[in-house]
Amino acid sequence: MDASLLTIQPASAEPIYRQIVEQLRRLIAGGQIAPGELLPSVRDVAGFHAINPMTVSRAYGMAESEGLLERLRGKGMVVAQVHRSTQTQAQRLGLLEPQLQALARQTTELELPAEPVLRRLSKLLGE
Amino acid sequence: MNAVLRETTMVAPLSVQGLHHAYEGNPVLAGIDLALEPGSVLGLIGRNGAGKSTLIRAMVGLLEPSEGKASVFGEPALRLSDATKGRLSYVPQQPEALAWLTAEQMLDYIGRFYPRWDRSFAKQLMQRWQIPQNRLLAKLSPGERQRVELIRALASQPDLLVLDEPAAALDPVARRELLREVAVRAGEFGTTVLFSTHIVSDLERVASDIAFVHEGRLILRSTVDDTKERFMRLWLPPRLSAAAPEIALSHRQHGDGSISLVVERDSEGQWPQASHLQGARIDPLGLEDLFVEIAE
Repeated sequence: MDASLLTIQPASAEPIYRQIVEQLRRLIAGGQIAPGELLPSVRDVAGFHAINPMTVSRAYGMAESEGLLERLRGKGMVVAQVHRSTQTQAQRLGLLEPQLQALARQTTELELPAEPVLRRLSKLLGE
Repeated sequence: MNAVLRETTMVAPLSVQGLHHAYEGNPVLAGIDLALEPGSVLGLIGRNGAGKSTLIRAMVGLLEPSEGKASVFGEPALRLSDATKGRLSYVPQQPEALAWLTAEQMLDYIGRFYPRWDRSFAKQLMQRWQIPQNRLLAKLSPGERQRVELIRALASQPDLLVLDEPAAALDPVARRELLREVAVRAGEFGTTVLFSTHIVSDLERVASDIAFVHEGRLILRSTVDDTKERFMRLWLPPRLSAAAPEIALSHRQHGDGSISLVVERDSEGQWPQASHLQGARIDPLGLEDLFVEIAE
């Protein structure tokens, strides 16, 4: 994987380390980076995006503790050998949690009852 | 070698206590305590006239504050040893020193005082940043002048780099290059960096820590990540205005009776009660918005 695959928005209200972890989750879940694939070094990511290396380390550490990445001695970080199909439904649902929470919050702010929102969502999901 | 060096220098690269200063009776600094951890990159942000440059000058010993103490690597800032001076690079907003030399002569001359001077780096950056080599510094534009100073500061490979508004004179490409240098040095050599800026996105890229200076005081000092996660903007419609939490960083009443507040998570990570009320709006805040909210 190349450092340029990540997009960093420094001005976002979301901390940069979270932006990186979030993108790794998606890239891995979507198969754009495969199990065993080597990640760019902390230095490469920090240098390419001109961001603080500690931020990148923090993101990698968090992704490692989530089981997304594995540390290979002397090599660096690689995508963990867990297949998308072996991720439980709960884990995959967890990826949607921030969006679901945002949706719930906006629904409340708009003072909409749950029912029409759920109906619309079902329709979007093709059910 | 570096590791040994670092162990013996775990003392704060920069620290100030109870700093007060006034220009002709006008207070500029009104009691500032601030310390930098080794290897941290601290972004200092504040409006024009907030006291950033005065604070920086006092921190590195170029200004004697009316009250308070400043130290650099544990030494009194006003009486630094040559060894400590050699570990520090400071770039002022408007460099003026050695104006009768050309950029090349200046770098050549200055380089002799620094044991770790990186001559080839200086040469390379001179070309990349398109500095006319044979023109007197006094004849350079303010932007070129500041770039020369940045080259000087970086080429000495300091343990502590202090930059006052470094981005002001750089175009976006050069600015990004400077940020990259700062980021990589902090990561690889444990260089401690203090820089002031009003370009918040620069700070968000490379800073590990942030300090907001407002009217001579430090109103917020935290890590960049924590600052982004800890604060939100809460908006309450007129009918809920009575429910506004008492503790908020800023509190603004709008013409229609609604209220905007900057609120903070409690120790358990929860937002104040009022944010869960029906009709309340809560929005994440980037650093720039946060700063505008609390500095107005």
